[in-house]
Amino acid sequence: MIDPVILQQGSDWRAQAEVFDEIFFVFLALGTLVGTIVVAYTLWNVYKYRDDGNRSDEEFDAPVVGELPTGQGGPKAKKLFLSFGLSAIVVISLVVYAYGLLLYVEQGPDTGDEGDIEIMVEGYQYGWAYEYPNGHTEREALIVPADQRIDLNITSRDVWHNFGSSDLRIKSDAIPGDYSEVWFAVSSEDVEAQGGEATYRVECFELCGAGHSQMKSQITVLPEDEWEEWYESTGNSSESAGNSSNIGAAGVAAPSGVSA
Amino acid sequence: MSGLPPTTSVKRWFVTTNHKDIGILYTITALFFLLFGGVMALLIRLQLWDPTSQILSGLAYNEAVTAHGLIMVFWFLSPFAFGFANYFVPLQIGADDLAFPRLNALSYWLYLGSGLLLAVSFFQGGTLSAGWTIYAPLNVPMYTPSIGSTGAVLALAMFVTGTTASTVNFLTSIHHSRAEGMGIMDMPMFTWSMLATVWMMLFAFAALLAVGLILAADRVLGSVYFSATEGGSLLWGHLFWFFGHPEVYIVFFPALGVMLELFQTFSGRRLVGRKWVIISICLISVQSFLVWMHHMFLTTINLEIKTLMMATTIGISLPFDLVVFALIYTLIKGRIQFTTPFLFAFGALLLFILGGITGVFLGAIVLDYEFRGTYWVVAHFHYVMFGGATALFGGAYYWFPKITGKMYDEFLGKLHFVIFFIGFNAVYFSMFLGWETPRRVFEYNPEFQIYHQFGTIGAFVLGFSFFIMFYNFAKSYVSGEPAGDNPWDYSRTAEWAVSSPPPLENWPNRPSYASGKLEFVKDYVPDGGPAMKTDDNGDVATDGGDSHSAHISEYPYWDKHPSHASIWPFALSVALGVTLFGFSGFADAVTVELGETAMQSNVVISNAMYPIAIVAGMLGLLYTGVKWGLEDFYAPPSEFAERWPFNGVEKVKLGMWFFLASDVIVFGAFLSAAIFVRYNAGWMTWSPLTESLPGLINTFVLITSSFTVILALVAARRKSRQGLLATLGATILLGFTFMAIKLWEWNHEIFDRGVTISANAHGDPIQASIYYVTTGLHGIHVLLGLVIAIFLFVRAYQGHYLDDERPIEYFGLYWHFVDIVWVFIFPLFYLF
Repeated sequence: MIDPVILQQGSDWRAQAEVFDEIFFVFLALGTLVGTIVVAYTLWNVYKYRDDGNRSDEEFDAPVVGELPTGQGGPKAKKLFLSFGLSAIVVISLVVYAYGLLLYVEQGPDTGDEGDIEIMVEGYQYGWAYEYPNGHTEREALIVPADQRIDLNITSRDVWHNFGSSDLRIKSDAIPGDYSEVWFAVSSEDVEAQGGEATYRVECFELCGAGHSQMKSQITVLPEDEWEEWYESTGNSSESAGNSSNIGAAGVAAPSGVSA
Repeated sequence: MSGLPPTTSVKRWFVTTNHKDIGILYTITALFFLLFGGVMALLIRLQLWDPTSQILSGLAYNEAVTAHGLIMVFWFLSPFAFGFANYFVPLQIGADDLAFPRLNALSYWLYLGSGLLLAVSFFQGGTLSAGWTIYAPLNVPMYTPSIGSTGAVLALAMFVTGTTASTVNFLTSIHHSRAEGMGIMDMPMFTWSMLATVWMMLFAFAALLAVGLILAADRVLGSVYFSATEGGSLLWGHLFWFFGHPEVYIVFFPALGVMLELFQTFSGRRLVGRKWVIISICLISVQSFLVWMHHMFLTTINLEIKTLMMATTIGISLPFDLVVFALIYTLIKGRIQFTTPFLFAFGALLLFILGGITGVFLGAIVLDYEFRGTYWVVAHFHYVMFGGATALFGGAYYWFPKITGKMYDEFLGKLHFVIFFIGFNAVYFSMFLGWETPRRVFEYNPEFQIYHQFGTIGAFVLGFSFFIMFYNFAKSYVSGEPAGDNPWDYSRTAEWAVSSPPPLENWPNRPSYASGKLEFVKDYVPDGGPAMKTDDNGDVATDGGDSHSAHISEYPYWDKHPSHASIWPFALSVALGVTLFGFSGFADAVTVELGETAMQSNVVISNAMYPIAIVAGMLGLLYTGVKWGLEDFYAPPSEFAERWPFNGVEKVKLGMWFFLASDVIVFGAFLSAAIFVRYNAGWMTWSPLTESLPGLINTFVLITSSFTVILALVAARRKSRQGLLATLGATILLGFTFMAIKLWEWNHEIFDRGVTISANAHGDPIQASIYYVTTGLHGIHVLLGLVIAIFLFVRAYQGHYLDDERPIEYFGLYWHFVDIVWVFIFPLFYLF
């Protein structure tokens, strides 16, 4: 039985989506700014120096066929390095900034030694099987409680898949013979906002065969107590009832137990 | 095969080895594949119109996605650029032709043949459906069982073979045939970009060839590399992206080169910071091999390596910044002429800026986690790769007058650009807006339907714009204004100094930059001796001891007229195509039922077409190969040329070195694969499958054969025919001894110990696969060496090689290389 440690609200942890949205916004803002400046500057100069036929030939040193290239440096080289330096600073600072948040995303919020829920996720052609610590396997949806850190251990039974939920901004490769990890947490406010049961789309993000397009699933987040109730009803049997189902696509074999 | 028929003769186009003819063939063929890949793209776009209805089955959609990617990246982008490279690199460096004209023709025919093989694969039960990235294990027959899938993989392998030949050719040409006075820093920027491109190709395509061969072994022979859970999937990822990232620059650099040329020509300014641009290009080429794992951030790679890859990724964006700014500043204070070529080049820059900025997003790992597998990536790489290729269309307009002698229609050209640019942004910018859609998924979130519909309309507009170009070119070719030698006001490079189109051997006299600008000098050619430089008065120049002259006199037939025609490149390519076609259906058509011994084993053939194709194709390969070797084809090296940094190296030897360098990467990839899988399986859990004694004996056999090859060279230099025959004969005998021991060893493994390519009675099947495939690749190298050795032996018997022992020397290089590879294989498979 899991002994949940409730994630503290507010400053202690941030959902992946929040982190992503922040970085994305910063990149988008700076990217748009830099892009606009560079493109506008270029367009303006191209217009300004268009060949309108009434420029004097003085100081215009036109190239001729067969000349060997000169001008390896030139007066513009200084300007070149200035712009290069500026762009380098922008790019490097952006990435250093994003790297700080990467470390958080990699580790996830600290919830103490115990209590996180670890669920095995196994991809197959074409669906996902979620195996809970009590041995219960769910195939329709990944059902998890709110306000808790959920750790997913992701692998594949057949080909390379990619487990991802765009809404939650989580994603991880599902590689046969390999186990990748990803965490997420949904706050109870979000669950309430969606009317007591939050659902998020799950899609496969790596081409995995003819049914790749239909390889959908969902993450269902229940309030803590409701989830507890559901989880207990699954008992220790992997074939149990509850709202779990065997509806998986016809012809798909039952998932073999996932073992680390 | 000596005379070259006129351009109006169909026969000419099958036998020509002239770089300009082949350039035209490449360009036209590439445009054909643009249409082919474009039709695939439109199929995809049609399916994306409505996420709730299907016009393609899931499998057909995947095939369209895969074929679109493969065709555009391999059969369109690179060959289109290589069409221009073929035509203009020799002109820009002042050479008569590429270093190896027949090899150049072979590259083209392998390219066309591989494309046809890919087209055929659609009719072999459906082509490959695993995406152009062909991720494992979806790429193995268990998940993509069609014969056409194997056909597509083999088509790719054939394409890469041709590419490798082309790479060796361009490297040798650029490093060996530059006109006198054209130092490496003086080369035009298009040539510089091509040089960087082919250097990257030499190593990147070797990795692709290796991974393609391994995949072919999995699909045809039944090895189990990519289905192995001991890292099989990641092995594909690493090897593919080690090729795949440089590939991005391989397709982009030629376009960049065109941009660099066109920005100068149509602004009348010389490139700003030229030296720094060249340094940036070189840096990018090296760095491109150090970033591949940023395509794999979501796999189980650990954080330290991800961080390192993030740093190298940011590092590689910096030289690009510099190049972009150099392009922009070059325009300033110019006299910019908004011709069609310039519009395309300038449009390419704008698109590339957008592609570059969105690429920085992907460099931040947290963002990449989310963008992975989405349309953000799709949009980004189309902006970079296709955005770059936009400049290539500029190149097509720019060089059209030179190639045809006629001017294109400026109005239609500009119209093409406007429609192209609008269509381009409509289709790819809409992908940024709907970026959360997973790649290669057609049942997407209906929220994004509006973007995808917008994109579909854009795609048709974009596709339509090319018909304006085709019409323009066709019309102008028939009835365009004569263009003259140099239709542009501010062109600089040497292709504009000759007539349009240029004569067969390019130059009126020998081009030289010795005086600091292009001049055509007339050399003094004495009777019975090679050309000598003359001074201003037409007398033989006496100063500056001329090593070049000595160089040329090493060629016994220096005064023969160069050849321009050979049918064997075409024939060889047909033979290889037939062989590979046969192999595509081999696994389905042929079943081997193992008995107690080899004698009791049974081969069941269910479809005779494929095995017959293999046998016929291989006989054809042998026949055409021998004919190629016997053909009297003469391609002289440039007499006076800049060759830095390979001054003292003879042309064919230089080519051989480049080829071996790429082969080092091929074997490197095979050995890395062996080590990677073993590491994943637990290093110490494996011990050698075989006994070490046969391997040890074979090591001695091979090393001894290296000595006999050296002795053969010595004998040839001493003009001793008997000595040459004896030592070559000894080499051949030792080679066969090696093969016999190998055969015994395999026989013993298969029938006594139950270790086959896909099964292992004593451990992991993947270990058996690695053993057979790696030593098998080496065995094929030995076998190929033996074929060449026998050819040399027969020719030596007829009295050849005593005047010119270089073929013996170059065969020796190859043979030594194969022996050295064994020295690495032996400990890995026999000792530890």
